[in-house]
Amino acid sequence: MTTATDPVIVAKDIRKKYEDITAVNGISFEVRRGEVFGMLGPNGAGKTTTVEILEGMRDADSGDAIINGINVKNDPTAVKAIIGVQLQQNAFFDKLKLSEIVDLYAKLYLAKVDPVEILARVGLDNRKNAQYAELSGGQKQRLSIAVALVNDPVVLFLDEPTTGLDPQARRQLWALVRKIQKSGATIMLTTHYMEEAEELCDRIAVVENGEIIALDTPDALIDQLLETGFKPEKRVREATLDDVFLNLTGHDLRD
Amino acid sequence: MKIYLALTIASLKMYFRNKQALFWALFFPLLIMIIFGIMNFDRYNSPNVGIYDAADNQASQALIQALQGNSDQKLLSVTVDTLEEIHHELEFGSSRGSIEIPANYGVPGEFAEIKVTYDERFQQERAVISTILGQVTDAVFKEVNQVPDEYRVENAIGITEAVITGQGQGFKAWLIPGIAAMAIMQTGLFTVVFTLVRFKSQGVLRRLKATPIGASHFLAGQLTTKAIVVVLQTYVLVIVGAIVLGVSVGNGRLGAWFDLTILALLGGALFIAIGLAVSGWAKNEETAAPVANIISMPMMFLSGVFFPLSVMPDWLTQWSQFLPLTYLADGMRAITVEGAAISTLGSELLGLGIWIVISFVIATKMFRWE
Repeated sequence: MTTATDPVIVAKDIRKKYEDITAVNGISFEVRRGEVFGMLGPNGAGKTTTVEILEGMRDADSGDAIINGINVKNDPTAVKAIIGVQLQQNAFFDKLKLSEIVDLYAKLYLAKVDPVEILARVGLDNRKNAQYAELSGGQKQRLSIAVALVNDPVVLFLDEPTTGLDPQARRQLWALVRKIQKSGATIMLTTHYMEEAEELCDRIAVVENGEIIALDTPDALIDQLLETGFKPEKRVREATLDDVFLNLTGHDLRD
Repeated sequence: MKIYLALTIASLKMYFRNKQALFWALFFPLLIMIIFGIMNFDRYNSPNVGIYDAADNQASQALIQALQGNSDQKLLSVTVDTLEEIHHELEFGSSRGSIEIPANYGVPGEFAEIKVTYDERFQQERAVISTILGQVTDAVFKEVNQVPDEYRVENAIGITEAVITGQGQGFKAWLIPGIAAMAIMQTGLFTVVFTLVRFKSQGVLRRLKATPIGASHFLAGQLTTKAIVVVLQTYVLVIVGAIVLGVSVGNGRLGAWFDLTILALLGGALFIAIGLAVSGWAKNEETAAPVANIISMPMMFLSGVFFPLSVMPDWLTQWSQFLPLTYLADGMRAITVEGAAISTLGSELLGLGIWIVISFVIATKMFRWE
């Protein structure tokens, strides 16, 4: 029996080796329903491998990945049917219009949706007749989130959704993530931008060398650091360079 | 079923929006067909002659040799075959004369009657063949009269002539099915290789893997699309080719279109499977393109697409007759040019069948999603 209070994602001691490299070395955590859970870490820390095991894209060597009460290794198809996935390297069919891409993916889930309405949720309804190759980087990421929403997923996985985007597009995407969270979905995202994690995530897990080295709310993690007597090298200013850039160039999206 | 349909419709849309693919599938083969068709190679070739050699002795072989001429001067393009086959070739094929050498040819003391049949529609070729045959047999006769007395024969060789009205339509008609077969190869091989390798290297296939649909759904949609394209392409090429070059298809037999469809589908399946094998192996377009070319280029020239296998040396044809495209081109040619029914094409169907099985086995071993 799954109830609303049960964790929607459970990772139990997941391990994965590629030849002689250990990518994931015993990762365990739980994600609550409705939470935005972030996984942080440098490149090659094992974030993507962990997420892909949860998504049913890759088999773990050992351990369990359970999504909404379903063990991924027992029924990956059932898991894929209830999750939305935005991969690190997404690509969609060229020669198809955006509305046709969304429509096609909806049909793959046997979902009945209005493609234009889905595109509107990510602010791409005005580009419904454009082809994938004509989109800017930020638009491509938003399309891939739109496609991940076609089956009204219980869990949405976002793997480095803002990598390579300019500050305007990044902020736009953050707003989108918060909007999706409000609609009731659980979101698991990976990133290597700390400010993104601080901005979006209810809790974060810091991953290094295939292991979780810290797991808590962003505030708690910062407090723990300050308790050790840590002082930042520079005095923290009220604004960041990011704010300066946005103030100069405006918040409007450039695409 | 609904998923499969959605994928098929989507990939059909993608295919027909790809102007480049359409160019290679339709415009390019048509261009080749029309250029070669207009050139009318019939005129420049030494006439094709079928010979049935009932004697099969030293003397008859010397005669055949003499009719072919030597490397300095090529006289006739000779194909030695069964009586039935040479008559069939004369009536429906590109042969312009059939020569029957009797069993007693070259037997001392016997009068050998050589029978020649011409296609009355080709008087020019008839004159050439008749002259060459006359000269060669005269020379042979003179030679015979120089041998020792016991081998000497008076009036050893006689020639009787007969005429039929053939139905063969020459090089133009011969060319169309070969080009259509080549186009099937190009579509099957290249569109599969390029779409799948691109989807693979861009990560489109990976994204599909994250959905609940199985790999088989996607592949089935792709295969259906290519099958539809291959059949449509064959119709267009054969119809436009026949109209532009002014030849009839399958001697007007309506069933020829059905047979042609079956062969196009078999050929499509074969080359799609080869395409899948190549795209399974290749990581990106740069490695896929040369391999696809290495497979298709030799077949283009060795499978009797632009010129008949009979003009090639025997050491080559004894291998090239087993090429996948040879079976397909021969089969399609038998249907469109000779009006043959598909049920009579046993060896072509067997050859295609074997190649299909081999290719699919390799394809399933090679194919990877990422």
